[in-house]
Amino acid sequence: MMGAVLAAEWIKVNTVRVHRVIVAVAVCFPLVVGILVAVFTPDPRFVTGADVVDLVTGTSVVSLLLLACLWAINLTAEYAHGTIRVTYAAVPVRWTVIAAKAVVGSVVTAVVMAVTFWAAWWASSTIVGSRGSSASLDQVDDVAATVIGLIMLAVIVSWFALGLGLLIRNSPATVVVTLLWPLLIENLVVLALTLSGVDDPQRWMPYQSAINAVVDEASGPASLGRPWSHMYFAAVALVLVVVGTVLETRRDA
Amino acid sequence: MIRVETLSKRFGATVAVDELSFTAAPGRVTGFLGPNGSGKSTTMRCMIGLDRPHSGRATFDGTEYAALRQPITKVGVLLDAGYVHPGRRAVDHLRMIATAGGVANSRVDEVLNMVGLTTVARSRVRRYSLGMRQRLGLAAALLGDPGVIILDEPANGLDPEGIRWIRDMLRFLASEGRTVLVSSHQLGEIALMADDLVVIGRGRLIDECPVGEFIRRHTTSRVRVRSPHVGEIVRQVRIRGAHAEIVGDLAFSDTALITGLAMAEVGETAAEFGAVLHELSEVTDSLEDAFLAVTGDASEFRSGG
Repeated sequence: MMGAVLAAEWIKVNTVRVHRVIVAVAVCFPLVVGILVAVFTPDPRFVTGADVVDLVTGTSVVSLLLLACLWAINLTAEYAHGTIRVTYAAVPVRWTVIAAKAVVGSVVTAVVMAVTFWAAWWASSTIVGSRGSSASLDQVDDVAATVIGLIMLAVIVSWFALGLGLLIRNSPATVVVTLLWPLLIENLVVLALTLSGVDDPQRWMPYQSAINAVVDEASGPASLGRPWSHMYFAAVALVLVVVGTVLETRRDA
Repeated sequence: MIRVETLSKRFGATVAVDELSFTAAPGRVTGFLGPNGSGKSTTMRCMIGLDRPHSGRATFDGTEYAALRQPITKVGVLLDAGYVHPGRRAVDHLRMIATAGGVANSRVDEVLNMVGLTTVARSRVRRYSLGMRQRLGLAAALLGDPGVIILDEPANGLDPEGIRWIRDMLRFLASEGRTVLVSSHQLGEIALMADDLVVIGRGRLIDECPVGEFIRRHTTSRVRVRSPHVGEIVRQVRIRGAHAEIVGDLAFSDTALITGLAMAEVGETAAEFGAVLHELSEVTDSLEDAFLAVTGDASEFRSGG
């Protein structure tokens, strides 16, 4: 049964043009930025592999936010168009539908982020290499951890968007909250906590802490560090998904 | 067989469905009627578990929807033709439902052919008219070749050919022994396609019976008589305790409507004094007349004037 629901969810993702456009933009953004920087950087001889990885990782955060919007839209459009009712008529056990959405979202996000990172790295490093740079992955400390951290962050953000979508059930509101959570909501909480005298409150903001850990592992007080910030954010996202799922099974479709 | 037992559903303080019970039998088309806001769609959503009823239950051949294995192969549902992503192609919409419901993808082409959408199956649904979306919704309901079919306003947006097609389709499905429950505001169509009626108002059952019985129960049968001696006939039937009134101008009309006597009795009365009859016929009210008579007090929304 779960296999059939997974296949149906994959059909939903794969048969709407806007989903493919979002994935294409998510892949292309770091690629294009990486190519432009590699082409126009004034002195490419001093560009190292670590510089290229930092560039690709930083721009890939935009990609993972775009993918989060994709999963928010994929779910909430079902409420807007009523297709969630068609789905629940075919699969009355609602949590299996939500679990299938989470699995499909996680797998697609992981694959797209891996492709995005490697495509942007390959294009950027090849161009700066042709201009005299000796950039290589050998110059990067623990590149595997960086890539896995980026992919894990993207997967967790996709759960976060799914959880918000289940609670809010509205596309524009879910997308706005998904994007503004780290930029506005967590910053407001940080401000309030700072004014209250709490030391380094930013590290306890799950979304920001996880992003900071990926973009700059040595982010110090701004993050809990790579494994812990991810686990912390994953726990918060999973709580959202579980609460959303429980409500979903009790609410009218 | 559909059996709904003491189903209730509230939205806040509003009681949408109130202790509603009825059955729909296999091999018959059951019309599900009620004024706007009477709870028909809510009842249908509760029946298949999309809305959570506060009490009561609905069973399909003795089993609740949520307990059915591969439910779309047992119960086919069309609740709203708009329940489709406009950016998705019709064939993909059906493929998605078939896959989720455990139905072979080959069935998709079959139902597209049944509803006449084969040539536009690869178009995105945003290009579909309301009538085409209704056909797509019906195709989805038929995907699992179910024994029970529930349709909410399936004729909405269909042209006359489409309306006749859906009527013939539902009659055919019932003739195969399936249980068909269909709601509609097109009472003329229901009169033509339905065997039985379930009529509700303000969420409560008003009546449940065969169509002909419903019309007989809730309308008054009259006899139309046309005769050059209409004045004398009217006088005679009034003597026999019937109600009679001349239609039109009293001085020139040759037609009267008589209530309270059977057609044969009116004919015999006329024969007793040798009156010539140009017409003697029974005037039967329509399903619409019966429906309006029975739901007059149960309408949530009524036009002014």
